[in-house]
Amino acid sequence: MPEKIDFSDQISSNKWKSFFLIAIIFAVFVLFGYVVSMTFAPELFFMIMIFAIIISLFYVWLGFYNSGKIAIASVGAKEASRQHHKEYYNLIEGLTIASGLPMPKLYVMNSPQINAFASGRNPENAVVCVTTGALEKLDKRELEGVLAHELSHVANYDIRYMTVATVMVGMIAIASEIFLRSLWFGGGGDKENKNMIFIVIGIVLAILAPIVVQLVQLAISRKREYAADASGVKFTRYPHGLIGALKKIKNENQPEKKISKVVAPLFFSNPFKNLGSTHPPIEERIKILEKM
Amino acid sequence: MDLTWIIIGIVALVVIIFFYYYNRFSVLSNRIDGSLSQIDVQLKRRADLIPNLVESVKGYVKHEKSVITEVTNARKALMGAKGIEGKVKADGILESALGRLFAIAEAYPDLKANTTFIELQKELSTTEDRVAYARQHYNDSILEYNTLCTTLLGKFFAGIYGRVKKEYLKIAESEKKNVKVEF
Repeated sequence: MPEKIDFSDQISSNKWKSFFLIAIIFAVFVLFGYVVSMTFAPELFFMIMIFAIIISLFYVWLGFYNSGKIAIASVGAKEASRQHHKEYYNLIEGLTIASGLPMPKLYVMNSPQINAFASGRNPENAVVCVTTGALEKLDKRELEGVLAHELSHVANYDIRYMTVATVMVGMIAIASEIFLRSLWFGGGGDKENKNMIFIVIGIVLAILAPIVVQLVQLAISRKREYAADASGVKFTRYPHGLIGALKKIKNENQPEKKISKVVAPLFFSNPFKNLGSTHPPIEERIKILEKM
Repeated sequence: MDLTWIIIGIVALVVIIFFYYYNRFSVLSNRIDGSLSQIDVQLKRRADLIPNLVESVKGYVKHEKSVITEVTNARKALMGAKGIEGKVKADGILESALGRLFAIAEAYPDLKANTTFIELQKELSTTEDRVAYARQHYNDSILEYNTLCTTLLGKFFAGIYGRVKKEYLKIAESEKKNVKVEF
């Protein structure tokens, strides 16, 4: 590992980053309101601003308190039953003992890919989701390695930051799309230059906002995965489980088609082979684990 | 006027630091107690499974009573063991007795095919994993607590609040050879 990671530092940094991200997103939303009101109806400025602030507060609140549910719903996962997924429950229960974490809610999503993710705003409200492919193809120790990695995301508060980021990126993406569309459909015929400037700013914002947030997310995501690999091994004391799982993923995974690109950074391994770099290369992860 | 505010600020800071360390010590020591009782819970569950196992094995393994008695005795020892060190040690003895029993079971295809036996075997290995996990968490918690006790400021406050370093849970000699740690 290139640098030493202190986990309590990481937890507080994740909490701060989540807070700042939410604040930035709130500001971006309010700014949208400002641009919209200046573009279309300067006379209704105060009305629109109040409206924008209420809406952005509501969105941020909704995104924060339901982040886990939104992530689960967006991939179409179902709650895992204790009877059918006994091993899954057993392994998670063992790992919660090893890590001292509360029991998360368990979900299964239908996909032949070997993959998993964790989400939620804090360990008390965490959810863990694995694919049916992971349950079928991985043996007990490999699955345990993957689950330990996910629980590390829970313990390090990565889930808060990553879920807030993805859920809110999703919302910004939608909001900016709506703005762009409304410009094309309703925005013609304005004569004043001032309005033109706001339209340009609006377009630039609409294009830049999701990219900026995504970039912030990409920059930190890799380090997070290495850290989660390491603390996952701290829980299981058995790096070979995780190594085995990564090797199987390397050899078997086909690109996923069903899930939205927005939630990609949440997953254990990148669901889309050639999309950006939300995850460190698998070879590199294996190499580091083999040194442990 | 300004000086008063500076003094108030410093006093407030000192009070906050005092509170912080008090809470930190109590959080960490509660965590140690919690993980200790978790070890107990898992050992108890393990002991509770043994009578059923013995019951399911009895009918098949007629000529090798000694192993069964060994397991039963090891369970009794575990139930009666005092203190966490003693309990963990007794669990180690039970574990090796169970190992011998399962090795013998390999020679009895009927027993190996018995669903109750298979279930119990799985359940026992799950609880063994959990005992290991609980002990690991206990030691991790102690590590964190002891680090606080020995680093700067923490050491000072440990003296004030009367907190002393705690002992790690040691692994019994007999167990050392088959731990799964591979660092």
